Amino acid sequence: MNLQTASAVISFAKSLEDESAKFYQDLAQRYAEDKDVLVAFATENRKNIVQIERAYYGVISDAIEGCFAFDIEPDAYKLETALAEGTSYHDALGKAIELEEKIVKFYADAAEQSKSLMADVPRAFMLIVKKRAKRGTELRSLLGKEGQ
Amino acid sequence: MILEEPIKGVPLVKNFIDGEWVESKGEIRDVVNPAKYEVIAKVPISTKDEIEAAVEAAKAAFPDWRRTTPLARARCLFRLKELLEEHFEEVSRVQTQEHGKTIDESRGETRRGIENVEVACGVPTLMMGYNLEDIATGIDEYLIRQPLGVFGIIGPFNFPFMIPLWSAPYAVATGNCVVIKPSSEVPLSQMKIAELVDEAGFPPGVWNVVNGGRTVVNGMLDHPDIQGIAFVGSTPTARDVIYKRCGEMGKRVIAQGGAKNFMVIMPDANVRATILALMTSFFGNTGQRCLSGANLVIVGEDDGFYKSFMDAVVATTSKIVIGCGLDESVQMGPLRDKEKKEKVIGYIESGLQQGAKLRLDGRKNIKVVGDYPDTCFLGPTIFEDVTLDMKIGSEEIFGPVMSVMRAKNLDEAIEMANSNLFGNAHAVFTASGKIAREFQYRVTSGSVGINIGIVAPMAFFPFSGMKQSFFGILHTQGQEAVRFFTESKVVIQRWF
Repeated sequence: MNLQTASAVISFAKSLEDESAKFYQDLAQRYAEDKDVLVAFATENRKNIVQIERAYYGVISDAIEGCFAFDIEPDAYKLETALAEGTSYHDALGKAIELEEKIVKFYADAAEQSKSLMADVPRAFMLIVKKRAKRGTELRSLLGKEGQ
Repeated sequence: MILEEPIKGVPLVKNFIDGEWVESKGEIRDVVNPAKYEVIAKVPISTKDEIEAAVEAAKAAFPDWRRTTPLARARCLFRLKELLEEHFEEVSRVQTQEHGKTIDESRGETRRGIENVEVACGVPTLMMGYNLEDIATGIDEYLIRQPLGVFGIIGPFNFPFMIPLWSAPYAVATGNCVVIKPSSEVPLSQMKIAELVDEAGFPPGVWNVVNGGRTVVNGMLDHPDIQGIAFVGSTPTARDVIYKRCGEMGKRVIAQGGAKNFMVIMPDANVRATILALMTSFFGNTGQRCLSGANLVIVGEDDGFYKSFMDAVVATTSKIVIGCGLDESVQMGPLRDKEKKEKVIGYIESGLQQGAKLRLDGRKNIKVVGDYPDTCFLGPTIFEDVTLDMKIGSEEIFGPVMSVMRAKNLDEAIEMANSNLFGNAHAVFTASGKIAREFQYRVTSGSVGINIGIVAPMAFFPFSGMKQSFFGILHTQGQEAVRFFTESKVVIQRWF
């Protein structure tokens, strides 16, 4: 079933942040090379949850279209976070980049759908899009470093 | 995801009088969660003695509370605001459990309630008077605002958390004491607020809650020590009981009644955004609010626009997910109880009898998500070819029913809206500033929406209403509430 209510979308966003935080924690444990960067990503995910919740709980009102603001197909943003035994760091970083692209797409799509209805929430989503796009660049640079 | 219910077991709701939780000696009734149709609490129908005890406690608390500085009173409200934020999710879920509304709607209600507490925290500024030096040589004149004593606040069933907060924070901020009577159908939200009021450190007797029905209302109306009443409910009660009796007793009164709001669609409206706004307007809170859209008036003689707009409205409406409000996927909850459902069905039948065309029948094939009885659920309903003389076109249904009409032009649409007895919150959807201004200028409703489906004034604006939607002069919320809960005393002074 598609996610149509603000509550369902916020919960879904939280689950994406949680899942990806666990993924980065796992990476940080497995690959010591860039442990600090990966732990920082996981920490930032938790901050993102706070930011989203703050926007949602601050702006939600009985008068806005909270129950009708979205039409999100959750399967389109399903994350692949399992890493097989022996996965190389290079492949793990590749997976992280894919994951970031999916999450960025989710936030961008959700922001686009709701932009005229509940402005603060899409604004918070777009801030995360920017942060995660930067993260994508950082991951690509780690991947480049790894490839050398 | 289905969220956890905060109310466990079947608690007995008590009255909160003079800072104590007191068991009532009155008859006990069930509080029913309409989604599951199960008893979630027991509520007393308090006696005349109990309302009198609450008024007595409030009266006794008034002299000291009045002398408490506005700053100190505001600090109590700041603490209450913080506690409400801490319990935001819990109190929101309580609303859904006792009322049936969706969790997004409950959280919205919580936020709007808290905003009134926030605004009332500004009482040191809000309550200021004004002065003029030398009205005559050596003589100065100034105005001070003083509290009056004890106020009664009577809440409806449709917004169990928020509506008493349109008044109570301003009443106590300005130095008055309050006795609140929640709807006996949904008493749990006010019980939760009273628990937090207690924790916030308000002195005993300043904030009292007495559960019950007519006996409590009459006890407030007839009591000589109650200075005024803030009421929200049906028009017959607002007009014939509250307003009338307050007049006889010399009490101040805010009596907010029913509505029949017209949503006027101009051919230049942004169709997608308008339709989403209409979904919230007509079907949000299952149509049980005085700001809901009731009549949809599509303007213009372009049959093509009418048909495509209505096709889109029907397509969107027919996809609305119905179920228990704690299920996050749900867009519309049940009606508050089965009697209210029967009443709405009665209106649907009258629409058919009077010749309206039933485009979407909410009585049939109600698809409730999850394993819940359909006792209180009703699907969204759309009628076309509705006329102003039909019951569904003129009376307040208070359910998820959209009555669609057509108007040749804006003038006719405004005339249609203005011909209705109510005047609460009409709206126009258009891309034209000229049309919007014309509508705003001429339509007789207390609130006006321009591309807004639920015209809910923020806490720092009055919750207005005209004609049969409102009885009184000053309104709840913001500056007007401060005026309502205070007397303007003018002092002229000269020193020899």
